[in-house]
Formats: sequence, C-alpha cells, structure tokens
Amino acid sequence: MKNRRFMMRLSILAVMIAAVGYTLYINFSEERGLVDAGDEAPNFAVKNLTDDEIELADYRGDGVYINFWATYCTYCRDKMGYLQDHYEDYEEEGVKVLHVNVDETTLQVERHKERFGYDFDMYIDRGMLVSNEYGVHSLPAAYLIDENGEVIERHVGAQTEQQVLSSLDRLIPGS
Amino acid sequence: MEKVKCECGHENPYGTYLCESCGKPLKEEEGKLANMRYEGTARRSQTYRKNVVDKIWNFFSSVKVGIWIIIILLIASSLGTVFPQEMYIPPAADPSVYYYQEYGTLGQLYYQLGFHNLYGSWWYILILAALGISLVIASLDRVVPLYRALRKQRVTRHSKFLERQRLYAVSEETYADPVQKLDEAAEALKKKRYNVRRENGHLLAEKNRFARWGPYVNHVGLIIFLIGGMLRFFPEMYVDESVWVREGETEIVQGTDGEYYIHNNEFIVEYYDDERDDQFQEALENQQDPVVETYETQATLLKPEAGGTIGSETDLEKIKDHDIRVNDPLTYDGYSLYQVDYKLNEFSKFTFALELDDEEIAGTEFTVDLNDPAMSYDLADGYTVEIMEYFPNFEMDENNEPTTINRVPDNPRIIFEVFPPDLDPDDPDTTGEISFLGVQLNEALTEDNEYAIRLTDADLVDVTGLTVRRDRTLPFLIAGGAIFMIGLIQGSYWHHRRIWAQHSNGKIIVAGHANKNWYALKKDFQYAHEQAGLPYPDDQAELNEEEGGSSENGSTKQ
Repeated sequence: MKNRRFMMRLSILAVMIAAVGYTLYINFSEERGLVDAGDEAPNFAVKNLTDDEIELADYRGDGVYINFWATYCTYCRDKMGYLQDHYEDYEEEGVKVLHVNVDETTLQVERHKERFGYDFDMYIDRGMLVSNEYGVHSLPAAYLIDENGEVIERHVGAQTEQQVLSSLDRLIPGS
Repeated sequence: MEKVKCECGHENPYGTYLCESCGKPLKEEEGKLANMRYEGTARRSQTYRKNVVDKIWNFFSSVKVGIWIIIILLIASSLGTVFPQEMYIPPAADPSVYYYQEYGTLGQLYYQLGFHNLYGSWWYILILAALGISLVIASLDRVVPLYRALRKQRVTRHSKFLERQRLYAVSEETYADPVQKLDEAAEALKKKRYNVRRENGHLLAEKNRFARWGPYVNHVGLIIFLIGGMLRFFPEMYVDESVWVREGETEIVQGTDGEYYIHNNEFIVEYYDDERDDQFQEALENQQDPVVETYETQATLLKPEAGGTIGSETDLEKIKDHDIRVNDPLTYDGYSLYQVDYKLNEFSKFTFALELDDEEIAGTEFTVDLNDPAMSYDLADGYTVEIMEYFPNFEMDENNEPTTINRVPDNPRIIFEVFPPDLDPDDPDTTGEISFLGVQLNEALTEDNEYAIRLTDADLVDVTGLTVRRDRTLPFLIAGGAIFMIGLIQGSYWHHRRIWAQHSNGKIIVAGHANKNWYALKKDFQYAHEQAGLPYPDDQAELNEEEGGSSENGSTKQ
C-alpha cells in the first residue's frame, strides 16, 4: 500500500517533470541548427559567378567544408583569408572548400573577391534557399561534411586559423 | 502507516478526522462543531512525510504554496510590461544599448536582469510549470479522498457526528412509530428533488453532490489550457514567423521548412481622402500624415516540384492566388499568411546619365538595378562605366572602411569608374575617372574629373510584411477554457446539501450540512418540518456566536 502510493506519486511527478523538461529543452535548444552534426547533409545546387552550377552531391567521396558568408561580415573576411592560404593543400588531400554567399549581388561578390584577392570559386545562394534549408542565422556559418555526405560539425562565428585548420584536418577522407 | 479502525468496523486511512463510513469523530477537535472540510478525510500529504517524493508532493499540495506561486507569477508578469519586450523595440536597435538610451539606468537594469525577454525566459516558464504541477497535485490530493468519502458514506451516522453538525435537533416528542415519520419525510424531500437513501429506517437525503466536483473540473480545464500553452513551444503545433517580400519577388515562407514560397505580384495601399466628406472627416483632419484605409498584397503561393534539388534551379508550381488583406489571410495546409506590415518606396533602380561640362551626353543614360547591378555598362559613342564598388546599405566600419550593413538597398552608394572612348577599360593599366554616388551625393574621387555622373531617376518598390502562422493549439485552449467555465458554473450555481434523519428510542434526530448556501438548506428543513413534522434544527454556529464562541468550524469549504 505504502509502496503503491510512492510509485503513484513518483510516476505522476516524473511525467510532469519530463513534460516540463522536454518543453524547456525544445525551447532552449535552438542552438542546434536545422541541419547539424549527425544529420545527412541535404543536397543543393548553387552557381558561381560565371553561372556554372555545382551540386553538393558532386563531391561525394571528398570532405566538404561549406562556408556561408557575406561581404558585410568582418569575421568572414578573416576566415576566408585563412582558407585562401591553405585551401590548395587540402584540395590535394580530398577536402573541398565551398564558399556560399548569402544572396548578395554578383557585383558585390565579384568586387569583394577582387579586393581581397581570393582565387577560389565563389557561389551565390540565390533566394537564400540553401541557407534557409541549413538553418543559417548568423555568419560565418561552417558545415563540415564528410566523404559519406554526413555533417560531422556545425560551427557559427569567428574561428582562429588553428581552429579552421583542425576542422579541415578532420575532413580528410579516411582520417 | 497503520489504519485507524472505527467502532463501526470501517478501516480509515491514517489521519482521518471523521470516520468515512459512520462519521464518528476519530480525533478530539476543538469547538463544538465537526470540521467537515473534505468530509473529515485525511489530506494524505499532511500525514505522510516519509521520503523526498513525499516532501515534493506535500510542497505542491499546499494551497498556500499554490497561492504564492500565483502571486509571484502575477508580479513577474506585470514586471514584463514596465518597458517594451525585446520583440517590440525597433528591429534595428541593439537591445544592449536601446534600453539604456530610452529608459536610463532603470532600463539598463531591466535589460541586465533579462526582463526584456521575460515571457520566454527559463525562470518564467518554470513558474508556470510550478503552477501546473501545483494544480495537478493539490487537486489529486483532495479529490481522491473526497470522492472516497462521499462514495462510502453510510446512511446511519454516529450520534456524535450528528451532534456536531451545524444544523442539529432532537425531537421533543417521542413517537410510537418514528420510522413512519421518516417515511413521510422521505416523500417530502423527494419532492424537493433530494436523493433519498434508507437504512434500518434511518434516512439520508442528498442533493447536488456533483457541485462538489466543480473546483476539480475547473482545475482540469486550467491544466488543459496550460498544456495548450506548453504545446506552443513545438514547431509542429505552433509557427509564428515573418516574411518580407518585394513586389515582383518570390521568397521562401519561413517556418514551413522550405515547403512553400510566396510571390508578391503587387502591393497596394490606399489612404483616406481628406476631401471626402464623411464621418471620419474631423478625425482625419487632426492627423498630419495620411491615414491608411486599406492595404493588400496580391500574392501567389508556390510549392517546389517534388524531388528537386534545393538551390538555384528550384522549379516552383503555383498553388493558389489570394489578395491578402488585414484579417483576410491566405490560408493553406494549416498555415496562414497575414498582412501585418509594409515598407513603401524601397529603392530598386537608379538611372544615371553621363555629363560633360554640365551637359548630358546624348545616349549615355543607364539604369542600375540595385538588387542586381551589372559590372559595367557600355554606353553610346564608346563610353563605358564600370561599377568599382557597390554598398546597398552604406556605412563606414570601425576601420574607417566603406562597407554595407546588410543587403537591403536602403542607403545605396556606388563607386563608378568612367572610361571615355579613348580609354580601354580592359587594359589593367588605365584608370578612368572615379566618383562616388548616392542619394544627394556626388563626390569625385579622382582629381579634375571632366565627366560627371548624375542621378536622373529612381525607381521605387513596395515591400510587404507578412506573418506566417500555424496554430494547432487553439483546440486545446478552447477546450480548456470551456471546461474551466463548466467547472466554475458547476461549483458556483449548485450546492451540495445533505439531511440526515435518524430515530433513536422513539425520538427523531435531524442534522444537516451544506457546503454553502445554508439558507437554502434551512428552507428545505422548513419544508420537511411543515410536510412531515420533522423537528426544525437550530443553527449551532449562530448559537455559538451568541454565546460568544467561535464559529470557525461552522462554515466549510469544498
């Protein structure tokens, strides 16, 4: 009898606390992006400045570092500087860096590229379709996708050169 | 804990005041009257204090605690209305400085304490949750014993129980056949729509017992209402997003996971006419700015074709057209798009012309699409204008370099490079004349510019502001509210009344209890007195008062 009362009270309390806990978790877990570590990376298509289209699926088998950026984002500039310095070394090891601009004008992206002397391809996410799908809210936002098309890390905000490089190291296929 | 056995043979839970079955007082109480609250049952929480679970349970079971939770919730909710919440301050404002600038030190404190986002804060949600838990536990802790006691009550009651009721009397006469007297009383009370039960000639007449469940039904309604509110945190149940669409453009509908797109065919705004002679005339004249009569978005809802890849080449299928007006949303698949805001006259295109010595060079007009400018413009007679830099929303950043705040052309600035026919724009060694243009701004960046670029025309576009809503919690809120009202009515408009009449040695003993509206019960006694000659009881609470005694136990709750 005593035991029954205890179990009854315990289960009622547990159900209520679980409901409240889950609600709070849902409410405060916006930290987790729409697409995040462990998810399969949704395929997408974007065009570069000369209208050549690429698809994410083209790089299956390579590690892919997707960098969402904008010309008005100062942290993006630092990050893209590091990537400019190292991307070729990693390309040889099977890591592709994709720079996806969040729907600025082609002119701005082109001029930005000239101004900072980037020699990699730049892609523009027209209509922010890809950014919306991936849940990009703040820039820079990086998505690390392994050779099997799975997201292994999501990172929002500024990064040091060291952090960028260790991210790229993680992406080397077979590492 | 051991049970308490009454002399009638019934086993009562520990802590019971009045035997559930016969009503005999099991504990000595102060005052002349029995404490009928919750039928004298043990409020379990007050009796078991064994382990942590019991302690948590007891805490939330307390009405005192419940009332404190409500008071704290009231104070917290009102604090949130002192200054505007974060979502209502201007969108461009930085909350960390806005509150200080607008409201001074108090505002700063308000922001630092997190009151600018009070209703979504974890502690506010926890107080709400505590209220819900308190409602559930306090109700369960009372309704279960009360239900047991009312279901188990016997007709025959202990003489001590009857004696300690507020309405109580013993007949002066001694009857030869008191049971027949009680039979008559039973008939009379049935006419008053009492449920009459008999046992060994004794009588229990009862009416409106369901009113006792009113408070609990009311709490169930409240709990459903709170659950409805809780479900709003789940995107499946509740979506509240906004989307801005320029005329002629298509945007993804936020909150639908890329399922739908909205196209703005045209945005229309109409103002009240100052000249029109109608009932609003006076009010309109008092307004400096024109007053909007109506605004609408002629919209098309679209859906990407199944199986496509996200990105540049998404093909869209048309689903439906609708003119969205205030209170006339476009509704589809549970989503509604409401007209809530608009922005008129956003820059969309600038037309420029090249001038030499303040004279326009014929055929050198060109138009720059501010949302998609070209790299360079080839003009008549071999003139070329290149755009060196474009800043849709210009500002100087902290390093004093020109940059843009975002991608909305609110303050567009362009750096042009002009190549006359004698210069080759493709030759990297040549530099043309450079000038910096914006609205009411024309600055030469190279010395002795021969040519000038003049802004001759600007195209404007309207932007519509829509809210995306999906609310599946409404049925919960409506059901909860309705049940709440039913419980309230049930407990307020009917009153549980009981009349006990017993015979003992030829005398008739009557006692009565009502959980409120004793006056009506007395009237029923009056009726039974007139029809069947039952003794009319004294109100012992009133007698006590006359004697200067306490009548606290006389009025019972629930």
